[in-house]
Amino acid sequence: MAIKIEKTFQVQEPLDRVWKFLSDPTKVAGCVPGAQVTEAVDDRTYKGLIKVQVGPSVTDYRGEAHIELLDHEKHEIQMVGKGQDVRGKGSASMKMTAQARALPDGSTEVVTVSEVNVVGLLAQLGARMIQEVSNRMFEEFTRNLRTQLQQERVVDTEQPSTSGNAAQPEPIKAVPLVLSVAKESAGRFLRRIFGGPDSR
Amino acid sequence: MLHKTSPEIGGMGHSVKRKEDLRFVQGKGTYVEDVRLPGMVYGQMVRSPYAHARIKAIRTEEARKLPGVLAVITGQDLEKAGLSWMPTLFHDKQMVLATGKVLFQSQEVAFVVAEDRYTAADAAELVEVDYEDLPVLVDPHRALDADAPILREDREEKTNHIFHWEVGDRKATESVLQSAPVKAKLDAFFPRCHPAPLETCGCVADYNSATGKLTVWETSQAPHAHRTLFALVAGLPENNIRIIAPDIGGGFGNKVPIYPGYVCAVVASLQLGRPVKWIETRSENLQSTGFARDYHMTAELAADRDGKLRGLRVKTLADHGAFNAAAQPSKFPAGLFSICTGSYDFATAFCEVDGVYTNKAPGGIAYRCSFRVTEAAYLIERAMDVLAQELKMDPVELRLKNFIPGDKFPYQSPLGWSYDSGDYHAAMNLALEKIGYRDLRKQQEDKRKNGELMGIGVSSFTEIVGAGPAHTFDIVGIKMFDSCEIRVHPTGKAIARMGTKAQGQGHETTFAQIIAQELGIPVADITVEEGDTDTAPYGLGTYASRSTPVAGAATSMASRKIRDKARKIAGHLLEVSEEDLEWEPGKFYVKGAPSKSKTIQEIAFAAYTNLPPGLEAGLEAVHYYDPPNLTFPFGTYICVVDIDKGTGEVKVRRFVAVDDCGNIINPMIVEGQIHGGLTEGLAIAFMQEIAYDENGNIQGGTFMDYLVPTAVETPNWETDKTCTPSPHHPLGAKGVGESPNVGSPAAFVNAVVDALAHLGVRHIDMPITPWKVWQILKAKGVAE
Amino acid sequence: MVTKNLVRVKVNGQDCEAEIEPRLLLAHFIRDVLGLTGTHVGCDTTNCGACTVILDGRPVKSCTVFAVQAEGREIRTIEGVANHGQLHPLQEGFKEEHGLQCGFCTPGMILSAYALLEKNPHPTEEEIRWGISGNLCRCTGYQNIVKAVQYAANKMSGEKHAA
Repeated sequence: MAIKIEKTFQVQEPLDRVWKFLSDPTKVAGCVPGAQVTEAVDDRTYKGLIKVQVGPSVTDYRGEAHIELLDHEKHEIQMVGKGQDVRGKGSASMKMTAQARALPDGSTEVVTVSEVNVVGLLAQLGARMIQEVSNRMFEEFTRNLRTQLQQERVVDTEQPSTSGNAAQPEPIKAVPLVLSVAKESAGRFLRRIFGGPDSR
Repeated sequence: MLHKTSPEIGGMGHSVKRKEDLRFVQGKGTYVEDVRLPGMVYGQMVRSPYAHARIKAIRTEEARKLPGVLAVITGQDLEKAGLSWMPTLFHDKQMVLATGKVLFQSQEVAFVVAEDRYTAADAAELVEVDYEDLPVLVDPHRALDADAPILREDREEKTNHIFHWEVGDRKATESVLQSAPVKAKLDAFFPRCHPAPLETCGCVADYNSATGKLTVWETSQAPHAHRTLFALVAGLPENNIRIIAPDIGGGFGNKVPIYPGYVCAVVASLQLGRPVKWIETRSENLQSTGFARDYHMTAELAADRDGKLRGLRVKTLADHGAFNAAAQPSKFPAGLFSICTGSYDFATAFCEVDGVYTNKAPGGIAYRCSFRVTEAAYLIERAMDVLAQELKMDPVELRLKNFIPGDKFPYQSPLGWSYDSGDYHAAMNLALEKIGYRDLRKQQEDKRKNGELMGIGVSSFTEIVGAGPAHTFDIVGIKMFDSCEIRVHPTGKAIARMGTKAQGQGHETTFAQIIAQELGIPVADITVEEGDTDTAPYGLGTYASRSTPVAGAATSMASRKIRDKARKIAGHLLEVSEEDLEWEPGKFYVKGAPSKSKTIQEIAFAAYTNLPPGLEAGLEAVHYYDPPNLTFPFGTYICVVDIDKGTGEVKVRRFVAVDDCGNIINPMIVEGQIHGGLTEGLAIAFMQEIAYDENGNIQGGTFMDYLVPTAVETPNWETDKTCTPSPHHPLGAKGVGESPNVGSPAAFVNAVVDALAHLGVRHIDMPITPWKVWQILKAKGVAE
Repeated sequence: MVTKNLVRVKVNGQDCEAEIEPRLLLAHFIRDVLGLTGTHVGCDTTNCGACTVILDGRPVKSCTVFAVQAEGREIRTIEGVANHGQLHPLQEGFKEEHGLQCGFCTPGMILSAYALLEKNPHPTEEEIRWGISGNLCRCTGYQNIVKAVQYAANKMSGEKHAA
């Protein structure tokens, strides 16, 4: 099933630092929970793994991501990725565009538009949840991104930047994600009924 | 002539309490999953997550290494035995375990066997499959496009088109449609749904290597047909195969086909020499076993300005999924869909159906509908309402005007059926009276002035059941007769077996009642058994409402053979000639001297102790019945709904069901069947659909999404009857199990559309969910 | 290799114990370990209620309870409803009112009704329908099941008055 996700977020860092980070796939992968880059085929194509856990069942997606467009002037990156579960439980593919721009106060705004397509068991059980789970993954991603950028700023003059995380990636636990998503859905629903900020 | 019997005997018309209930209320039924044999092991399927993909590799080593795992079977293994494909029940074949490619999500790819079910589940998780996904086809309207992916590479003709079938007079109907002053056209989709009996499918396959006998406990509505197919496909001698269909927890057509799970369990048992149990989960049941409906239909009605019908043209696109596994008579690729002229007298009609493959679960079985009759009844009953709307005519008036009149029976329909009997006016009038139709229409007018939404839906359906006469009907070549064998013991008790197999219809009671009717032996003294192919005579099983029309007739005829012999014995005992004897249920008496009589019990005893010279001992008979025609139960259902403008929820306020199934064996059981079928119709109309997204992911694959009504959603059903016996059935009975599922969807949908007709709504496709209704209300500006 | 737990449960008045895996479902414990096959499994998403048993007086779906959770507790299954071969009024009611057809939902249905009548001996029709709303039936349309429960309620209150 195809799901469109549009996300915009701000980072309290200057544009060129954010852009440098974003245009390095190994660094970006390091911010995606449960993800790992395993091989750089060339400077545009990368192979990797991502672990997703739904309840007791762990799914390992193995796939490839290709940078279609990297525009250093417009600060725009376009990427397509496709992965298959190693045991054959399904697949997922994604097309993503991200554009960074400087804000007047010196921080950076990043606008992303992604189209995610999921096939297999996850699409059956998680159909309703995929949108929300993607939201959550994104929130964790931006949190990690901000942290990484902050850390880099601190160590920048002292050491070369590390690429990705060397340790075993922790699988994204979709059950706590699902539970917190359910809580959030319920919260939004109640807010819609009783008034309050509509978080659509 | 049907004698009246006493309640102690319990013949036709008595609401005898069911004999099977004693074990069920104590939890002492024997369903397949209850079968436990020494040394039994468990099988579990590994299934495809992809709707269309090539299989590049299957790795089973990790699974095999797990302690407790005994075997992992793949399509390649089966291929060596020539079993990776098996014939379907309808001129096609299907993969048992996938070889080369998979064609629908949840398709069977490997079969794991382990000492216990938990280890089997662990092992199934460890099987690794490399897939290369292929473009998916889920829209049947795209199946014949030039760029559509060809699904069945195994077929000679590389096309997704399965069949084209047509019947009727194309030219005459075309010309009537051109010339008629009034026309109505309706595009109606009957969504894919699933019978979902509460017990899923499963089997215990037990090959005894010491005796060479294979015994399979199976959830099968047609055990004999399964036995023959196993013999032909697996090359096992038929005398060494025993299929036992024990208690079955609901069938509704879902348990007619042979599923890959059965074949794999048999193969595993043959391989291991141990009993192998395979019971599918509910998800597997909903996602891979025989679905129903999925018909995209168009009806065009031609009429005069006064509402007199002139012609009907129907065109249908049938979505059969990845394999044509429809369980239906071999000459009818669209089943009995051509009953779509319904209860109406058409001068001319034409019907054509095209079937296509898609990347969905295979099937097209008859879900409580006698081979596509539900689709046909839905279409015509919906189309009549659309025409009524066009003519600004009351839908009841339109129907009354066009019903086949009583004097036209047996009625030759323009699509080739000979309806045995019917009195549509009587059923309709009784229903109208019971529901208070005129007052309801007044009430609707008043409510509309207040902006309240109330609707009345009518469905006057005709069913066609009891397949079927040998000259036209067979399933994979086996003729659709059915049978009964009765043996009366010296003490006057009897045992009888039939070729049918109940899954809740109460045959242990109703067939005993038929024998009670014919022989006067009390129901309590008659044991009825079904489902064991080693003891029951050959029959085609129970589905399509055929048990009473066919096996019921066989039971009656076998009883009469016994009665004929009993007459000879009675004459001998009373020392009179046979012609001087009269029969009343339970005894023969001498004409004019009723005190000189012999009971059937005395006669039975004499059959073993005191026979006329030259007459064989024993009192038994067997009869194989070839029905001369199908039977045509019918009825009128009227439904009243109220729509909540805030939520779009449709509440069924009242539902009157008047059914005519000819002479009734057990009114209590018939009423129960109607309740159950109407509840299924309610579910189909308002809550159920097995849908697929554009990648072929199933969207209705568990009971979380595929909704079954609970006691809270289900209204009280008001039932009544008229009685128009079948002229050709020995008991005048017609069969009724499926009528409620056939006739009700249109009643529900007609009611909802009627509630919104004044806003310009003509049709809403099922399932009519609150969301769908609310969107319409919003668009029409009346939502709250 | 696989850890097993000793579980002790009172089932239909009898003490039972067995060594089982912690992940064993109560439904499977009842059916496969104890051999009481009256409790049925009809789905895999806790929707159908065919597996209903009574655990310490409360009706539960035994497919969603681990057997180890029943440690030290009491269970009543359908096999424990009749009294030494004498049918319980509910069982009688189901038979008299044609409250079953294929019989698969019946054990779970009877136990839900059993628990309902213990709490509410004179339920209205609506209360009965809500009381059995966790049990799916595909055959009967529930109408006769409601009648069966009413039969039992009447009989049981009549018996109380007689006693």
